[in-house]
Amino acid sequence: MKPMKFRSVTQLLLALVFAFGLASGAARAQDKVNDPFEPLNRGIFFFNEIFDAVITTPVTSIYKAIIPDPVRRSIGGVFGNLDDLYSGVNHGLQGKGKQAGTDFSRVLINTTIGLGGLFDVAGDMGLAKSKTDYGVTLGAWGVGAGPYLVLPVMGPSSVRDTVGRGLRIASDPRTYIPWQTGYSLTAAEIVHLRAANASAENLIASSSLDKYNFTRSLYLQRRESQVRDAREAN
Amino acid sequence: MSRFLSFIFGLILVTATAMPVSASVPEDMVKTMAANVTTQVRAVPANSNGVTPQVQAIIEHDIVPRFDFNRITQIAMGRNWAKASPSEQREIVTQFTHLLVRTYSNAINNLRDMDVVVKGSRSNGSEGDVTVRTQMVGRNQPTAIDYFLSNASGGWKVYDVQVEGVSLVSAYRDEFTSLVSNSGIAGVIDALKKKNTR
Repeated sequence: MKPMKFRSVTQLLLALVFAFGLASGAARAQDKVNDPFEPLNRGIFFFNEIFDAVITTPVTSIYKAIIPDPVRRSIGGVFGNLDDLYSGVNHGLQGKGKQAGTDFSRVLINTTIGLGGLFDVAGDMGLAKSKTDYGVTLGAWGVGAGPYLVLPVMGPSSVRDTVGRGLRIASDPRTYIPWQTGYSLTAAEIVHLRAANASAENLIASSSLDKYNFTRSLYLQRRESQVRDAREAN
Repeated sequence: MSRFLSFIFGLILVTATAMPVSASVPEDMVKTMAANVTTQVRAVPANSNGVTPQVQAIIEHDIVPRFDFNRITQIAMGRNWAKASPSEQREIVTQFTHLLVRTYSNAINNLRDMDVVVKGSRSNGSEGDVTVRTQMVGRNQPTAIDYFLSNASGGWKVYDVQVEGVSLVSAYRDEFTSLVSNSGIAGVIDALKKKNTR
């Protein structure tokens, strides 16, 4: 049998995703969570908890102390503006032209009148935000999530969603600017998101018996819900 | 004769308008529950340290009677429910109820500024099983929260809550399944007790 040739890492990853995706269909039928890497995942989860407690949370506290809430929300708007661009691309790929149009209109209006995303002018005009990503698009195309993965710092993911992240990083302008600025912007986004999600994080910590299990269940359920919604005809 | 007919007609009209439309009873219940809880929680001054006893009391008074904790626990235990003895089952229900009340209190406390809007309901297949769809609206995007209700045990009661498609009961089912396979029914009871005493 001739060995398959992959012209790029992206091709290899996509092939793996499809392979796992097909396999995960069978796993779902067994009513068992698809987490063959659980010991490794738990290790990375534990590392993430430490990283979060030692590095991210202190930085986040300073961020919250120095920057008032309305300003933080404006900053969130800038990151969200970039997200709207990818949501538009992905809604298009999912066959939802109207929503894609709304997403791109949001980017246009918020970048210009909204000063780069600081103000959600489009939202006030009735153009609602609707977030989606490459992972959901792959799911809508029929690719199963594959094994659950916990990524260092980034947190819960799956084989499919990690490829989605890769596609996002490959197309993100931050990848192509000098790495110091690129990493700083990424770090800023992490801190911002962490601050915004602090109360959800506390809630999960206080309601779970096993934080790893609980987080995994919430993550996998949420992604399936998004994929189901994406598969629905307009 | 015509007076008699008018009387009958009037009688029918009165009873028809007096009978509640079956779909709206669970909707009204959720609406009332949400409105009561929101009003009362907002009257309690916010405490950054966590849930005050007052908020917990509101939850116990307004939420607990409307939830079917027996059923919730059975669903969360899944096939392992039958493996527990009656006294173990009672213990699990007690401990799990305590955990859920605490979790719900925390959530309500964090979301005190948000309003609940009932969006409608849909049947889950049989007449006594409906989902009431709500949205929590506040500063950011609205969050979809679905309440699953059944009136199988006399009166409409909630047996699952889904936030943006994520079922809380399913999340706990994954936890319980893992616990039972690692440390049996006793493991579940111990884990719940430990969590509740923290």
